[in-house]
Amino acid sequence: MWENLSLKEVVELTKDPFPSIRKWVKEKGKKVIGSTIPDVPEEVIHAFGFLPVSLIGTDKPLKKAPSRLPDNACSLARSNLELVLSYEGDLFDGFVLPQVCDTTQHLSDIWRIHFPNKYMECFLAPRQVDRPSARYWVKEEIERLIESMGNWSGKKISNSDLMNSINLFNENKRLLKEIYDFKKKNPGALSNKEFFSLVKLSMQVDKEEFNKSLKAIKDQLKPQKGEGYLDVVLAGITCDPPEVYGLFDEIKLNIVADTLVTGTRYIQGIVPQDKDPVEGMVDRHMNRGFFSPIHDNVYRNFEEIKALYKENNAKAVIYIHIEFCESQEYDLPDLKNMLRKEGIPFHVMDTEYQTLSLSHLRTRLQAFFESLKGGAL
Amino acid sequence: MSETQKSEKPKKELTKSQMLSKKITEDYMNEAFRAHELGKLIGYTTAISPVEIFVAHDIIPIYPENHAVANLTAKKGAQLCAVTENLGYTSHLCAYARSDLGYRETGITVTRGIPEPDLFLACNAQCFTLTKWFQVLARRGNLPVFVFDTPEYIMDKKARQEIIKYCVLQLKELISFLEEVTKRKFDYDRLNEVMKYSAESSRLYKKFLDMAQYKPSPISIFDALIGMAIAVYRRGTPECVEYYRTLCEEFQEKADKGIGVLPKDKEKYRLYWENLPVWFKFSDHAKLLGSYGGVILTSLYVHAWSFEFDLNKDPLLTLAENYVSRFSNSTLEDRADMAMDLFKRYSLNGMIMFMNRSCKAVSFAVPTLKDVLVKRTGIPALVFESDMGDQRFYSETQIRTRIEAYFETLDRLQSKVA
Ligand code: SF4
Ligand code: SF4
Repeated sequence: MWENLSLKEVVELTKDPFPSIRKWVKEKGKKVIGSTIPDVPEEVIHAFGFLPVSLIGTDKPLKKAPSRLPDNACSLARSNLELVLSYEGDLFDGFVLPQVCDTTQHLSDIWRIHFPNKYMECFLAPRQVDRPSARYWVKEEIERLIESMGNWSGKKISNSDLMNSINLFNENKRLLKEIYDFKKKNPGALSNKEFFSLVKLSMQVDKEEFNKSLKAIKDQLKPQKGEGYLDVVLAGITCDPPEVYGLFDEIKLNIVADTLVTGTRYIQGIVPQDKDPVEGMVDRHMNRGFFSPIHDNVYRNFEEIKALYKENNAKAVIYIHIEFCESQEYDLPDLKNMLRKEGIPFHVMDTEYQTLSLSHLRTRLQAFFESLKGGAL
Repeated sequence: MSETQKSEKPKKELTKSQMLSKKITEDYMNEAFRAHELGKLIGYTTAISPVEIFVAHDIIPIYPENHAVANLTAKKGAQLCAVTENLGYTSHLCAYARSDLGYRETGITVTRGIPEPDLFLACNAQCFTLTKWFQVLARRGNLPVFVFDTPEYIMDKKARQEIIKYCVLQLKELISFLEEVTKRKFDYDRLNEVMKYSAESSRLYKKFLDMAQYKPSPISIFDALIGMAIAVYRRGTPECVEYYRTLCEEFQEKADKGIGVLPKDKEKYRLYWENLPVWFKFSDHAKLLGSYGGVILTSLYVHAWSFEFDLNKDPLLTLAENYVSRFSNSTLEDRADMAMDLFKRYSLNGMIMFMNRSCKAVSFAVPTLKDVLVKRTGIPALVFESDMGDQRFYSETQIRTRIEAYFETLDRLQSKVA
């Protein structure tokens, strides 16, 4: 189902992958486990023979979620809860929900109470990563997840099952990385929307099949630098709805680096294979890029974005703010000031999963880049 | 999270416990303002955090939340929050954080302010907001932050054991962190001593809150909110124990004499309150509810400091067990059980559920908790939305109307039963 997709089909599917997931599951008779982002070790779910699907919101109307959450719950939480309460809940046999911020912590309680008959597990990610206890804890949590899935499914997995899944998932990330490297230099060949659709769909469908599409797409790419592109760094957690990428394409911005959970932070998740698989997944967790709720180093966000900007010789940083994301909102004013002090052009886009019209975002984005182009570029 | 220093002059003669509270607070703040002179450091920390470790290591704990409460209660919230919003922070972040950042910009406060920090300890058993807020403050002075990460105390027994192990490990890391910052060895004997005081004052604090079981209740949540202040910022000290002993004696005497917040024949509705109070309206709310024969007796919030430390255990273990299992870090199911325990023990017959836009850590649970509690108790609930400290999100008429309608419902139900 996903082994022979063209770029165009990938972009189409990313809008709503669920009908195809339903069909696939029916054909294969597999169980589906949903996870919100970030950092659930999907390889574990896959090793048990289940399909791990990342839940990354929906643009469909909110019906039930608002009455279950505070008005100022972040847009991603509202949208994800809606996705399962009103639209796709029945597709899933269970959920593994990571907890990183207050929202994800309390959301997982609400979620569990609404789905009393499904498998439900939390992944309690450490909210500090600089001390030895963090490493200890990630390992405990991965082992607990393995045990919990084993108890639920009555299956046992071996190290080689895990290694096989790691292999497959690493392969997916390597392919994405190669395509990303190509895209950075050839924005005329592959749009932002197309590339980030490849990442997003990777997080939601069967990798074994989808890797085949990725390989074919990669092989067919022809260098095409395109003209008039401006290289930018994209910072944030997620970037939705996907039309936002379309906006970037429209005004010829070329994303050459990013810090997104649905971008580089995912691709960075290649698990070292020269050691025990659980240890490898722990390494991966510790080495991933900045994510505001788990990093206790208060400057890392700034340092990382600055480094990406410089290394890639980018011309600006665009920051995607998810409506009501507390974590981002505590970081943003300082981040803005620090980057501005460095002379780095910085533009914040306020996004919301249920946005229907992007005209406001477009006007502001255009104004920012026009003034930038009028400046010292 | 609690009220500390108030600017107004007391009108009535102070009780013994009130005098004690005043003296303890003054001594504490005097010492804090002279910390560096005394060779001590100031550690900012969260109201729910293993402060016993600070006390044992002679770090003076300061709670920016307490200071924020004083300003919010004195209706400075909107003014201070607006200053922070002008710095680029959004208007729906916690009003403690927003008013604190506003205070730091302007110096506006109804107290003498709080001393500047040397280091931070953020414990996320309370909320994650504080971690982020402390990070903002830390960046201003390039100061160290220690995050005591307490994963949600999920219901699985085995997972709980692991969580506690992880927390104990971190408490050891906290001690090493403090040793490194202060260049002083940590004294475990001193910790044992601090734990004794903390255990005893927590036991007495709980006894004080449990006065709400008497009919009429000699204590309302208003007393509890004032009474909890010392537990928040002075636990681990002998004066804290003395304060709660005195407080318990005073309220026990009232209970023995049958003196209630409302007279026995007027006490119709014994209410549960969910969430933090609307600080700038709380006494008004108490009066309004009183006029309907209602008195708010308790909330999970005030119980957050009734720790049950086990002195037979390793102090780090009992600290970890207690801090990780606070209501704010417990599952919704456990919170419902904790609230049900209060309903039963205090014979509650009404509940007000406050959706506090400042505090997502508590408010996320409100809609679901309301459903569970209504189902389990058969008592209707009043749910209202507002903000604990930012008056711009408070609508007087709307809330009054809701309260009036709620009591009408309760009256109707009661007359049916009668
Ligand atoms: S990190 Fe932000 S966007 Fe993600 S769940 Fe938490 S509040 Fe929402
Ligand atoms: S978010 Fe809630 S728990 Fe956290 S500081 Fe604000 S009021 Fe307190």
